[in-house]
Amino acid sequence: MCEHGEFASLILGGMAPSAPVTASLFFTCLADALYPNVALATATVLERFGVTVRVPLSQTCCGQPAYNSGHRKEARKMAAGFLRAFDGDGYIVTPSGSCAVMVKEMYPVLFRNEPRMLDLACSVGERVFELSQFLVDVLGVTDPLSAFKGKVTLHDSCHLVRGLGVREQPRRLLRAIPGVELVEMEDSDRCCGFGGVFSVKNPHISCAMVEKKIERILATGAQYVTSGDLGCLMNIGGAVSRSGYPVQPIHLAEILAGPPPDEET
Amino acid sequence: MEPLGSKDALIRRIHAALHGHDERAAEPGAGPPGPPGPSAPSAPPASVEKRVAHFSEALRSAAGTVMSGDLYAFLPALGEALRTLGVTALLVPEGDPVARELADALMPLGPFRLASTSELLHGNSPVTAGIQSAEFAIAESGTVVQTGRGGRTLLPGLVTEVHVALVRPDILVDRMEDVLSVLAADPPRTISFITGPSRTGDIEQTLTLGAHGPKTLIAVITQSP
Amino acid sequence: MEPKCHNFSRNVEQALANRNLQAAISRTTGRFLEHRNAAVRSFPGDFEAAREAASRLKLATLRDLDIHLSRFIEEAERRGATVHIARDAAEARDIATRIAKDEGIALAVKSKSMATEEIGLNEALEGAGIEVVESDLGEYIIQLAGEPPSHLIAPAVHKTREEVARLFSEKLGETYTEEIPELVAIARRRLREKFLSAGMGISGANFLVAETGSVAIVSNEANARMATTLPRVHMVVASIEKVIPLMSDLPPMLRLLTRSATGQPISSYVSVLTGVRRPGDAEGPSKLHILLVDNGRSAILRGKYREMLKCIRCGACLNICPVYQTIGGHAYGWVYPGPMGSVLSPLLLGLREASALPDASTLCGACADVCPVKIPLPDLLLELRADARAQGHRTPGEVLGMKGFAAIMGRAGILEALERIGGVVCRLLFKDGKIPWLPFILSGWTDRRDFPAPAVRPFRKLWKSKRGVLPWNR
Ligand code: SF4
Repeated sequence: MCEHGEFASLILGGMAPSAPVTASLFFTCLADALYPNVALATATVLERFGVTVRVPLSQTCCGQPAYNSGHRKEARKMAAGFLRAFDGDGYIVTPSGSCAVMVKEMYPVLFRNEPRMLDLACSVGERVFELSQFLVDVLGVTDPLSAFKGKVTLHDSCHLVRGLGVREQPRRLLRAIPGVELVEMEDSDRCCGFGGVFSVKNPHISCAMVEKKIERILATGAQYVTSGDLGCLMNIGGAVSRSGYPVQPIHLAEILAGPPPDEET
Repeated sequence: MEPLGSKDALIRRIHAALHGHDERAAEPGAGPPGPPGPSAPSAPPASVEKRVAHFSEALRSAAGTVMSGDLYAFLPALGEALRTLGVTALLVPEGDPVARELADALMPLGPFRLASTSELLHGNSPVTAGIQSAEFAIAESGTVVQTGRGGRTLLPGLVTEVHVALVRPDILVDRMEDVLSVLAADPPRTISFITGPSRTGDIEQTLTLGAHGPKTLIAVITQSP
Repeated sequence: MEPKCHNFSRNVEQALANRNLQAAISRTTGRFLEHRNAAVRSFPGDFEAAREAASRLKLATLRDLDIHLSRFIEEAERRGATVHIARDAAEARDIATRIAKDEGIALAVKSKSMATEEIGLNEALEGAGIEVVESDLGEYIIQLAGEPPSHLIAPAVHKTREEVARLFSEKLGETYTEEIPELVAIARRRLREKFLSAGMGISGANFLVAETGSVAIVSNEANARMATTLPRVHMVVASIEKVIPLMSDLPPMLRLLTRSATGQPISSYVSVLTGVRRPGDAEGPSKLHILLVDNGRSAILRGKYREMLKCIRCGACLNICPVYQTIGGHAYGWVYPGPMGSVLSPLLLGLREASALPDASTLCGACADVCPVKIPLPDLLLELRADARAQGHRTPGEVLGMKGFAAIMGRAGILEALERIGGVVCRLLFKDGKIPWLPFILSGWTDRRDFPAPAVRPFRKLWKSKRGVLPWNR
């Protein structure tokens, strides 16, 4: 529905920009309320690579929960709020594949009958990047300069891998961290069973799915399971915490940022 | 009851759904020609040897058996194979002299006799091998093609336990398109594309041959006349 | 069959409790996928280009379906077929029953057909005193068991060999055996008798070729060939979207269908059947009835769901779907399971019956990735969810909750205040930061999972205190 403009050509070029880069942090409602460290880590990593980070504080939720459960009117309302908060220029970076997909792919559907909003949605949408995608594809980062240590397995979130086509970027970054040993799980791109409202409306199926996912995670013997989406981590983490499985969920941004200074010694 | 004129009603309903106005009756056949078909991989026609090789490989991977070379050299092997499969009767369609010739040559190699169609269609039939000249064969997929053209029967490759298909190299074509383009002008009632034996995986996904049709398909690649 | 989609959550509970079923489904879907992926890797040519082309062909055909369908009808009748049209399932049952009666049929053999399942043909014919025997082995098994199919391609995936053995000995009086080749041989022997004595063969159609009025049917067992060759009468039951314009469109569609379904480059048998037997033909039916079933499809053609009619019933979306892999086919409550069923069933039955199905997806997108005709299944599921809300198939609690959520999210200030209150309260209640139970509609989440307690200092607050409120941070 959107025509591609300059941002699309920027990413296609894959060139590291030479001019100073400004990015607005789309921290997501989940990180805001439940995992503020993930949003902080995202800002830390961006600043490490010279990005000027802006944080539009009027942002709330992109509207995905409403959209995904069919409440389009409410979703439009939230989407309009998001577009107001992020209208402008510069990149928009988020530590969430599924929130990026919501803005980039679903807003145009939400506003398909409102030409003016559709234009705005498209111009905002093409500025949106998921963190690992932004680091590798836009900034050309090869080494995230992280001091993180541990054996890590990566869960490909559905929206990141199938929605944005981001599969290699997080792996490249993880492999570049000297202290990280990346071990692949079987079917790493199989859904963990979260699915937002799905996990509430179909909890039994969701739980059976997350158990299957955890089986595969545990089979790798990794200490950490990471992902580019907080939803997945909340789901996996919820089951891990209830059953006491020996693995710790951690967001990709937190690994890239490295341990906080007070833990480093 | 089926309402009178239900066909027109259906077409009108669809037309209205597509174009938004209800009243105009669709004019059958008045439309633009169909859209171009999906482009299939098209390569320059292969040599006969290549086709034979492709055909054999594809059919083997579909659990078919291929015998080729000098007929009289592998005839004993074919006879032995049929005996091992428990075949006691051979079914040869009328008007297929090549199949008849092969059957006659096989006769002394086992205790075989000729079966008739009617005994196969009426209860307790012997274990039978149907021998028939294929009308086409397709290299891409290892497929044998039988049709009902010219009063031909398709039973030798259907109601038997073993289907022996005689494939002359000159009936080999590259792809299914090459067969259908010949037949589309006036299609016979039945065109059967046959690739390997009858199979089922319906119980515990275990591949089992000979569900309803032949358990074994042997393609005999004969010399061109 | 009577739809039971409205019982979705109860169906799911039963499925999850059935260990055999779980094992059978994961084995089947795993193998189908493995074979499918291998077949895609060895595809002659560019598989993605072939998908795109097939998608375009189907879409273009649907766009002019009236024209292609008229041509199909005309050409089929010119070659001796009688074409019947059924507007809905009840009419289809009536027409089929009347045909069978008029032809004096006592026994009909069937090859696999989803359209006949959809209209409930067997029950109708049996009700009219006509014996109907399914001849696809999987269908035969579930017919004996009195169950609906649980997979488009492998209808009896949920049955173990022991269950089949018991069925054959109890229902058929055969000696008990768990050897699969012997079980197959029993079915072959039993069904051969039926093929030879049936007056009518009933089949579906994978494709209807408009150019020649032909019916194309794929099968592996040869039962479709038997059923369409041996009996005196052949009845085809097909839904109207099966039409393709030209004979030359058939091979590329078949290349995708069989590879996506079972991973075979081509099925053991493809039959292209045109009209009735001609004078001088050695065999074949002398009567051909083609029953075209609309049953709601012309209404779907109209709008945003048109792409669903591209479906060629390959089953790939079922095999890859993590939800289908978890609950199997019966839980969906009707004849069409998995992602394609979650779209098609509500479209054909209405959301009142089937509004739970579009919700039974995580929208993970795996189905759209494998679909050989590129149906955007997750997008269609989302449209159905929106329709469900619009048509009032949402609980008042959910609607109210969503309205409240949107209202809170409308103002960052309110949100922050609530976050902080929530954070403090939860820290008091749940010292370790885990919430072990949630109230009301959220309670399912915490059955077997914890929920994280909100942070006392949300990110918004943290950032402001670290960096101050800068001009762009309004
Ligand atoms: S929706 Fe696509 S993948 Fe699913 S059965 Fe239909 S054609 Fe196959």
